[in-house]
Amino acid sequence: MAPTRTVKNKHAANGSGIRNSKSAKNPQTDSVIKAKKNQPNKSHIAATGLKGRPKISEILKKRKQRVYSAKELGIPELNKITPVGVEKPKGKKKGKTFVDDRESMTTILALVTAEKEGQIESKMIKARQMEEIREARRVEAEAKDQERKAKFDETKDQVRKKRKREKGVRDDDVNGFKSAMEEGTRAMKPKGKKKKVSFAAE
Amino acid sequence: MRPLTEPETKVVFDKLANYATDLKTLITPLEDGDRYVFRLNHSRVYYVRLSIANMATSITRDALLSLGTCLGKLTKTGKFRLHITALPILAEHARHKVWVKENGAQPFLYGSNVVKAHVGRWSEDCPEHSGCVVYSMADVPLGFGVTARSTAEARRLDPTGIVVFRQADCGEYLRDEDTLFAG
Repeated sequence: MAPTRTVKNKHAANGSGIRNSKSAKNPQTDSVIKAKKNQPNKSHIAATGLKGRPKISEILKKRKQRVYSAKELGIPELNKITPVGVEKPKGKKKGKTFVDDRESMTTILALVTAEKEGQIESKMIKARQMEEIREARRVEAEAKDQERKAKFDETKDQVRKKRKREKGVRDDDVNGFKSAMEEGTRAMKPKGKKKKVSFAAE
Repeated sequence: MRPLTEPETKVVFDKLANYATDLKTLITPLEDGDRYVFRLNHSRVYYVRLSIANMATSITRDALLSLGTCLGKLTKTGKFRLHITALPILAEHARHKVWVKENGAQPFLYGSNVVKAHVGRWSEDCPEHSGCVVYSMADVPLGFGVTARSTAEARRLDPTGIVVFRQADCGEYLRDEDTLFAG
């Protein structure tokens, strides 16, 4: 590699600044220096260029790459679907087809009526079934309610009977002494321990 | 003005069948050899005599305002909407009927739904969400709607409960005067 020089002033570099000086007479042209500098570079590019350039045979190979059709690749038919609006059937007449004759109108009407009747019928059946279910539920709920009520009444009766029996037992007492004792009337109350209040000594 | 295409005819019949039975009589030939046909003009469907429809061909589309009985409008999405003008045809072949009392007629004609308290009587075995024609107690058709409840369910409903959802009523002749036939 040639040594690199830093040049601050292009014209000043070629001479000392004096017109008739030696250096001014034999100026070193920039081109020569450049040529010298570039020589190794040129050779380098040439060498690399020959290597990097693709050969003609390679280019031809690339160009001849085979293009497969959809049939050859075996792609499923679904991938080929086009929207309904876009697809235009060939051989079919353009425009709308009107229904104005009685026969076709009757056919359409029969189809529509049958469909509607079916729908309404199914609706009715469904409604009836729902109604039956509701009715059954209502009956069940009523039965349950009745049962609960009966149970409640029974319990109430039992409680009443119990009370009556207790009353009957009390009647058996001699002179009603025992019952009076239980009830705790003031006059007949047996005297227990007398309650006392005492103050703590200082 | 043009006849309906097949899908259009199907949609129209489908809607009519919600409210009316025996639609065959609509297209049966008349005694004088004439018959009724369906015609489309400005997305409105007309039910008209064939002889009148043929005569109307001499009038330009823009100049033709209306002919025969306007049944309704075909929307841009391909659905069909019945107008109140179709009421005479529906009332003639009504599948289910609801009669409203005197006190219920006015609220209905002003555009509200039919509540149970206003119902005088109704046809039996009517499932929910099916088309029905609303009559006054004097058998004058007032409009049509869709049942909110089946007859059995409606019996258990409270008086303020909605029985019929209004679809169209005769009050529209005044309320929608500007848009009913054009626009």
